[in-house]
Amino acid sequence: MKLRFDDEVETFRAELLAWLAINRPSAAEMAAEPSVSTGHAPPWARRWTRTMFDAGWLVPGWPPERGGRNAGPVESLVYIEELAKARVPRTTNVQGLGIVVPSIIDYGTDAQIRDYAMPILRGEATACLGMSEPNAGSDLASLTTRAVLDGDHWVINGQKVWTSGANYADFCFLFCRTDPHAPKHQGISIIIVPMDTPGVTVRPLPEIIHPHQPDLNEVFLTDVTVPAHHLVGELNNGWAMANGSLAHERAMVWVNAVMGLEESLTTLLAEAPALLDRLTPFERTLAVDQIVQVAIDTQAARCLGYRGFAKFARGAGAPEQALMKLYASEARQRVALVAAEIQGADALAAGGVANDGHHAVDEPQGTWLEQYFHSFANTISAGASEIQRNIIAERILGLPRN
Amino acid sequence: MDFEFTSDQIELRANARAVLEAACPAAVVRAVYEATGDGTALWSRLVQLDWPGLTIPEEHGGMGLGMVELAIVVEELGRAVAPTPVLATLTQLVPLLQAAGSPRLLDEIAAGACTGTLALAEDGGWHHQPMQTTARRDGHAWVLNGVKSHVLDGTTADWLAVVAQGNDGVGAFLVPAAAVVATAVVVMDPTLPIATVTLNDVTVGGDDVLLEPGDPAAALAIERALQTSVTALACSTVASCRRLFEITLDYAKQREQFGRPIGSFQALKHRLADLYLSVERAASLAWFAALTIAEDDDRRAIAVAMAKAAAGECQRLVVRDALQLHGGIGFTWEHDLHFLLKRAKAGDALLGTAAYHRAHLAELLGLAQPA
Repeated sequence: MKLRFDDEVETFRAELLAWLAINRPSAAEMAAEPSVSTGHAPPWARRWTRTMFDAGWLVPGWPPERGGRNAGPVESLVYIEELAKARVPRTTNVQGLGIVVPSIIDYGTDAQIRDYAMPILRGEATACLGMSEPNAGSDLASLTTRAVLDGDHWVINGQKVWTSGANYADFCFLFCRTDPHAPKHQGISIIIVPMDTPGVTVRPLPEIIHPHQPDLNEVFLTDVTVPAHHLVGELNNGWAMANGSLAHERAMVWVNAVMGLEESLTTLLAEAPALLDRLTPFERTLAVDQIVQVAIDTQAARCLGYRGFAKFARGAGAPEQALMKLYASEARQRVALVAAEIQGADALAAGGVANDGHHAVDEPQGTWLEQYFHSFANTISAGASEIQRNIIAERILGLPRN
Repeated sequence: MDFEFTSDQIELRANARAVLEAACPAAVVRAVYEATGDGTALWSRLVQLDWPGLTIPEEHGGMGLGMVELAIVVEELGRAVAPTPVLATLTQLVPLLQAAGSPRLLDEIAAGACTGTLALAEDGGWHHQPMQTTARRDGHAWVLNGVKSHVLDGTTADWLAVVAQGNDGVGAFLVPAAAVVATAVVVMDPTLPIATVTLNDVTVGGDDVLLEPGDPAAALAIERALQTSVTALACSTVASCRRLFEITLDYAKQREQFGRPIGSFQALKHRLADLYLSVERAASLAWFAALTIAEDDDRRAIAVAMAKAAAGECQRLVVRDALQLHGGIGFTWEHDLHFLLKRAKAGDALLGTAAYHRAHLAELLGLAQPA
C-alpha cells in the first residue's frame, strides 16, 4: 500500500505528458469544430484519433498495430487520468472505441477487424451500439429486434431506442434476436449494420438539457438487409459477448466519473464563500455540512476506485465495477443538487454553455441545476442504479436471484 | 495510489485473524460482558506474540512496523470485538510518546510490562480550547489539576498521557495510575472500558514531561498523535461494521420466510448492497488516512477527519440494518450480534462523532463562518 505508484509508472506518465504537450489538439481547435454527438467525429477528432493511433497512445494496453504500446493496467489507468486532467477526450465516439472495437477484436473475423474495427482506431469511422429497445431497457435480454437469415443475407426488422450517436455513426453494432424459441438470453446475436443501409431510419430524441444537440436516438429497422458475414462471433452468443465487451470499459470508466466529481467539488468550493455569505447563520450551517459530505463523497470515490482497481489489476471480475458505477453516478447527482439548493432561486437561471468541442462526451456542463438533471444520464444508462444494486447483491454478495 | 497490500501485510492480517479466532472467540467477549471473565489471558497471548511492540522501534524491543500494519491489527481487533489494552496503549499512548520524541516506557510497553492510555477529552468533548485541565509550573516540575472524561482503559492502564493547559499553551504529561483518581463509567460496551479521571495536584517532572506548555511544537505533536488514534479507531469501527455486515448477509441467505430466503427479496437486496457500499466507502477512506499518516502526506488532517466521519456514517447505517434485518433474534442477549453493535456505536462516539469530524472538515476546507 502506498500513495504513489512505482517509478516506472511515473516514467510512463512523464512520457505521456511530454507527448501530449506537443501533440494535443488546442482548446480553440476543438471549439472551432465541436462534436455534437457521440457518433460525430469532426475533423479535429479524426485527426487526433489518427495521431494517437500512429503514436501508440490510443489504447496503450494494446499492441502497436492496434494503436497501443502493450502497457499494463496501472499505466492504462494513469493514461485515462492524465487525458481527463488535460481536458482532451480520447475520442468523441466513446461507445465505438470503448465497446465496439474491443468486441470486434475479441470476437470478430479478420475481415471485420479490417473493415470495421481498424477504421474506428484510425479515426475514419464511428459506431453506435444498438442495444435498448422500447420494451427492453433494464431487461435487455427481452429485446425483440428480429434478424432472419435468408440465403446469404440477414433481414432485420425492429426498433432500437436511446441509441447514443446513431444520428452520426457510420455503422451500428446491433443486438438482434436470431432464435425466438430459445431462452431469452440464448437467442441473441450481434450484427454489424451500416447506417446508410436502406430501411434504417434515425429519429433524434432531444434531451431535457441541451435539446439542440441531441445524442440519443430512436433507430427504426424495416426489412434491412446486410450480408450474412456481418454476424459478429458465434450465432446466438450475443448475450455472453455483451457481458464480455461491457466489462472492457467498466474497469476504467470510473476514472472519468471521479474526475468529473472532483471538478464539480473544486468549482463548488470556489463558489462557496460567495454563496454561503448570502445565507442566514442556520442555513449556512446546514449548507456547509452538505458541502462537507460532498467533499467526503468525492475523496471516497477516488479511494473506492483505486481499491476496486487493485482487485481488477490482480484479476478480479467485472461485478466489482458495479459498485463504482453506482457510487460515482449517485455522488455526482448529490453534488449538483447540493450546489443548486445552496444557490436557491438563482439555480433557476438557464445556462447556455458553449460547446467546448467535446461536450457530448464529458461533464460537468451547464448550471448546477442543469448538471443535476443531466446527471440522471449516468444513474439511468448502462444499467440503472437499481440494476447495479441487484448486480451487487447477486453477483458480489451471492444473494439468491429469486 | 496503490491500494494493494504487500505479501507481508497479507500474511500479518491472516496471522492476526488466526490468533484472535483462537484466543478471542465470542465466548471470551461474552465472559467480559457477563463479568465472568476478562481479557487477561488474551492479553498474555498477545504479549507472548510480541503484539505490544508492533510499532515500537527495534532498538526498544519492538517490531518497528508502521501505520499500515497498525491499522491491519486494529481492524482484526475490531472484527473480533477484542477486549485488549491494544487500542489505548498502541494507538493512543505510543503515538503521543513518538510524536513527543520520548523514549519513555517504550521498552516496557514492547515487553508487555505496562499499558497506557490518553487522557484528553473533557466533559465529553475533544475540542476544548483552552483545556480546563491545567498545568502549573512549580520549579522544575509541573502540577496538574482537572477532570478528564472518556479515558479508554482509564481504570486499568498503568500510565496516562494527560493533555493539560499551561499559561503558554497545551502540554502533555506522563502520569502513573496511582497518582490519579479513576472512576469507571458503567458502559454498554465493556470491551472498550471508559473512566473519568480526576487529577488533584499531580506533580510531574523530568522525562515524564512529554511536551512542555509553551513548546511551539507541542500542539502540533499532540494533533499528529491524535490523528493516529482517530484513524486507528476508524479502522477498528469499520472492521466491526464489516463483520456485522457479513453476519447479516449470511443471515439473509439462510433465514427463510414465505418459502424463500429473505435475502431473495429485492427490498433486502438493495439494503444489503447499500450496506456493502457503505462499508467499502468507509474502509477506503480509513485506508487512505492510514496511508497519509504512514507517508506523512500533507493531506493527513483532512484524510483523518474524513475517515472518522465516514466510519461514523457507516456504523449508523450498518448498526441499524444489522439489528433490523436480524429481526427478533438479534434483539436477544444470548445472540452475539450486540457485541458488534455496541462496539460500532462506541467507535463513533469516542474521539469525536461523525458530526464532530464533519464540523472539523468545514474548518479544514475553509467553509467555517468567518470570525
